[in-house]
Amino acid sequence: MKTERTGAIVVLLLGIGYLWKAFAMEDINIGDPLGPKAFPIFLGAIMTVLGFSLLIKPEAASTEKLFGRATFSVAALAGMLFIYSIAIGAIGYPVSTFFFLLLASRLLGEKISPAGIAIALFFSLGVFLLFTRVLDIHLPLWGMIRR
Amino acid sequence: MIEIFHHLVYGLQIATTPTNLFYAFIGCLVGTLIGVLPGIGPAGGIALLIPLTFGKEPASAIILLAGIYYGAMYGGSTTSILLNVPGEAASVVTTLDGYQMAQKGRAGAALSIAALGSFIAGTIGLVLLMLLAPPLARAALKFGPAESFALMFFGLSTVTSLAGKSLRKGMVATTLGLMLSTVGSDLPTGIIRFTFGIANLMEGIDVVVLAIGLFAVSEVLTSTEEMAAGEFVVEKLSRIWLSLKEFMQSLGAIIRGSFLGFFIGVLPGAAHVTASFLSYTLEKKMASDPDNFGKGDIRGVAAPESANNAAACGALIPLLTLGLPASAVTAVLYSALLITGIRPSPFLFDKHPDVTWGLIGSMYIGNVMLLILNLPLVALWVKVLRTPARWLFPIVMVISFVGVYSVNASSLDLLMATGLGILGYIMRKLDYPLAPVILGFVLGVLMEQSLRQTLMISGGSLEIFWKSPIAMILFLLSAIFVVLPRFLARRKGMHLA
Repeated sequence: MKTERTGAIVVLLLGIGYLWKAFAMEDINIGDPLGPKAFPIFLGAIMTVLGFSLLIKPEAASTEKLFGRATFSVAALAGMLFIYSIAIGAIGYPVSTFFFLLLASRLLGEKISPAGIAIALFFSLGVFLLFTRVLDIHLPLWGMIRR
Repeated sequence: MIEIFHHLVYGLQIATTPTNLFYAFIGCLVGTLIGVLPGIGPAGGIALLIPLTFGKEPASAIILLAGIYYGAMYGGSTTSILLNVPGEAASVVTTLDGYQMAQKGRAGAALSIAALGSFIAGTIGLVLLMLLAPPLARAALKFGPAESFALMFFGLSTVTSLAGKSLRKGMVATTLGLMLSTVGSDLPTGIIRFTFGIANLMEGIDVVVLAIGLFAVSEVLTSTEEMAAGEFVVEKLSRIWLSLKEFMQSLGAIIRGSFLGFFIGVLPGAAHVTASFLSYTLEKKMASDPDNFGKGDIRGVAAPESANNAAACGALIPLLTLGLPASAVTAVLYSALLITGIRPSPFLFDKHPDVTWGLIGSMYIGNVMLLILNLPLVALWVKVLRTPARWLFPIVMVISFVGVYSVNASSLDLLMATGLGILGYIMRKLDYPLAPVILGFVLGVLMEQSLRQTLMISGGSLEIFWKSPIAMILFLLSAIFVVLPRFLARRKGMHLA
């Protein structure tokens, strides 16, 4: 029930925050009766009402706990994904992907071995070549290193 | 009728020339590949490959691009079923039961019904396209902004009401999607909304970023948690192929999905997304055992996949008969036709019968080709699931991130996808459904635009809605869909008490 209420508070704060930003927005409505503010204000109001409603009368508690003994692994992978997101632009797709594959598979239980290194190398280069050479999609080779 | 038959034979003659057969095959193959890779989507795929059509005959060029179109529509379902990674918004609904089937070891059956459903829907859609194109095009013109708004409102209401266990949580998810759609520059006025000073957000959030974040990233995070807690179980693959019983069970859903998808596909806006969501809710509504939906019910794969493909046929009607592209994909096809020297107009059927009937003929051929191409691939795709999870999930992330990066070549999109993935992970834990976020997001911009256009036409008066019978019927149906199930459930509860 506590988790449900926490969720409801987040929904409520989101609604209020969005509503506040919507009201603060500049308004121009020449020939447009609604203008750019009305739709967001309406959405913010709905979200706020829903947040209140869920806070006052929560739904039956979900079975899962928000944090458990495996939360560390989830946080570690999320952290890796954040770093990988930045690394693609900074050091290029193949290198960052190689390290991401190696470390993420390690986190999920794979031991670092020559075979694992070979798999990470194969996929980082293979995916890069498939997209850049065959499908003509731009991916940075070296990122900012060679700029 | 005989005239249509003659035209069809003419179209088939054009489509079955060795050159055009080759282009249709290449189109289907490349389209399936593009569809399987998350992030690119049919519109992006066609746009990327337009240069391939330079210097080709108009009929051959359009046959190639149309092959990519329906190949990508089909291919998008593969990753939705196998990995819970929807390649584009219309495939989101396929994840609901498709991925559950895969987790129960029935990925082969899910992929097969997606292929067969797409084939049947494509065939029904083409027959309807030939027979009903002119009257439907005229009817679609009656869909002004008020009616479009009402249709999208209907789509959102039905999906919200049936998405999860709680109506309020479904509404939170839909509203969140609508809120995310308001990020960026407001088209009519140019006012910047909810970007927090980040220049890259001026054009809004891309649907690929949202879909991959909410579904793929959150799925990988959830699975990581299960693996760390020792709860991750890989179900053994049971029979790969679809049984006759399962096919017969899905047939009604396929036929209903085909008709619904086709008629919604004719309408402007994100028709194929609305069609796939609505067909799913229709099946759930009609089922005697609706609780099975979301837990791996084969009808939950058959209906949206059929609707999706039939909508692709329907969407060609405004393009071919009125010269109006009504969706992102047909807009790209429109540009491709212009490049080949053909201006789509109401006279396209008369002026360029080789292109229009050649396209229709090639779609028949393409449908057969897709089936021949995809059914044997089912066994191959299913093997993907045998990859050890400790490698499969990182590889899924690596490929998904290419899809996200390809949108704007921006690390910000990757960071957003990760953030949205964490949001999706928490929403799953708290039992908030994810699918309505995507539908709300896709329809949000269109809904706001049509509402504003409607009120501009009426000078700010809401009377325009009451004066439109189509809009009123759709509003009434929305109310029935949302209120009636709850009213009946409450009465049933009272009786039981």
